[in-house]
Amino acid sequence: MLGRLKQTHFGIFPASVYNDVEAEGGGDGSPGMETRVLSGQAVVTNIEPASPAERAGVKQGWVVVSVNGKPLAPVIEKLAADPDIHELALERAVSSRLSGMVGERKKFAFLDGANAVVTKELEFGPERGQAARFGNLPPIHVFIESKKIGNTGYVRFNMFLDLVRVMNQFGEAVQDCMSCDGFIIDLRGNPGGIGGMAMGMAGWLIDKPDQRLGTMQLRDASLNFVVNPRPDVFKGPVAVLVDGSSASTSEIFAGGLKDLGRARIFGTKTAAAALPSIFERLPNGDGFQYATANYISEGGKALEGIGVTPDVEVKLTRASLLAGHDAVLDAALEWIKKKK
Amino acid sequence: MKRHYVLAALIGFTALGFAQPEALPKPETILDRYVEVTGGKAAYEKRKNALETGTLEFKAQGLKGSVTRYSAEPAEEYSVIEIDGVGKIEAGIDNGVAWEKSAILGPRIKSGAERVQTLREGTFNASLHWRELFPKVETAGTETIDGELCYKVVLTPTEGNPETMFFEKKSGLAVKTMTVAATQMGDVPFEATSSDYKTFGGVTIPTKITQKVSGQEFTITIQDVKINQPIPEGRFDPPADIKALLSKSADKK
Repeated sequence: MLGRLKQTHFGIFPASVYNDVEAEGGGDGSPGMETRVLSGQAVVTNIEPASPAERAGVKQGWVVVSVNGKPLAPVIEKLAADPDIHELALERAVSSRLSGMVGERKKFAFLDGANAVVTKELEFGPERGQAARFGNLPPIHVFIESKKIGNTGYVRFNMFLDLVRVMNQFGEAVQDCMSCDGFIIDLRGNPGGIGGMAMGMAGWLIDKPDQRLGTMQLRDASLNFVVNPRPDVFKGPVAVLVDGSSASTSEIFAGGLKDLGRARIFGTKTAAAALPSIFERLPNGDGFQYATANYISEGGKALEGIGVTPDVEVKLTRASLLAGHDAVLDAALEWIKKKK
Repeated sequence: MKRHYVLAALIGFTALGFAQPEALPKPETILDRYVEVTGGKAAYEKRKNALETGTLEFKAQGLKGSVTRYSAEPAEEYSVIEIDGVGKIEAGIDNGVAWEKSAILGPRIKSGAERVQTLREGTFNASLHWRELFPKVETAGTETIDGELCYKVVLTPTEGNPETMFFEKKSGLAVKTMTVAATQMGDVPFEATSSDYKTFGGVTIPTKITQKVSGQEFTITIQDVKINQPIPEGRFDPPADIKALLSKSADKK
């Protein structure tokens, strides 16, 4: 019934989603690699340091062909052909097939850089980051990483959750980079989370008072997503990296900074899934997510169904990944270099 | 048949015309009675400061936290709400400066209508000072809330949106408040129901307050109130980053 609404942010999460993680010794496991569907193939885009995938020698740019003998191609082909399945859902469907329980071993077949089939048995480790709880939301592992690439700051986090830790580390990353040539916020694969965090993060980047990222339209009120400039603000160039799996709060953040002219957006169009919603637990233990508002970005357009179109469209390619490059990050770094 | 209904309606209408409606009490009477039934002017005036502690719960969202609020004459305040998964939300009033600081939004100084509203709400013993805070008051009718007949009083401040309060006819206690609250994010409809009145230091206050704001409902339960205890030195001083914002703002001027 919820599916017939054909809108995002409406769904039922089975009680088992909560129970699996809460159970002793249980939890979602990960092989320690991220993939994106590129040209109909699940291509490894990132290998987590010290992960089972890295230890087994899996490389960026390899193609995941099958898991425990089950090929991914038919799944990708079927879902990609369905107009009702957007990129975010496709990526989630693929990543769910790459997950398992901690300690579980699965046989992965890859195509390596020379398109030869390579088989690796990977033992699943814990998911990256720390398990975060937020009210009735199922427990989710959240990571945040920050570093300097030359004299450019870079921060990446997988969700707008684990509020205190992520907000603190984001703030520290900006503060450590006040004299950097530029600052890059990588929201690729980030499906969103707590909407207010977008406002709080923007406060580190916008010095002008009374600016807003957009407006949340409720039944009886409109709430402006106002930015509070911090005492110290980074004033250099800001790049935000997005892709089709950047959704909700990621779109609120990227779209708002773009509309305010404060950031340049690199990558591919976002998921167009940005309805503010809440989670409630049903009497049977399931979680029920439902949208409570619409969201209009500062440029005047709804993000739901439209998304954020990058200023500079850059697609990942398998060839560049095999060569050790991240074309989207490279484009952002190049822009910052020119702005110097 | 239809004519019978019309006639019945006319009879009923005529009967209403003959009924003698009970005259509504003056708003001053209702508001002064509230002060009286909650302890009286003398009890309020003995209170110079307060420390309230309690809990907060967003039941639908599964979020819980704690509330601590220091307040003192004439309008000094420091409160901290700590919610699991959200962190600290601090707020305060010091010498006319109203501020807020949270893990999610960072520090900020309140301004405009939001500041005025915060200062009004932060007035210590506000119930006692309704004449200064709301120059215009009006009894707007009656309404039944949870089976109890209540007087509806509209209080209009010098600046800002009017507040509508409902006082039980029988007990004189306030059970509901409605207004349009001025927030940084915009004006939002606000409704609060008050219950479970308990007495601390001679003044009776509601210890269960359920607020509805923009479709979100949460309940504050006051567990303890300490009156006229020593307040830690500097308790009402704004945090360092609020002071930094104040000096940044002063520099720009």
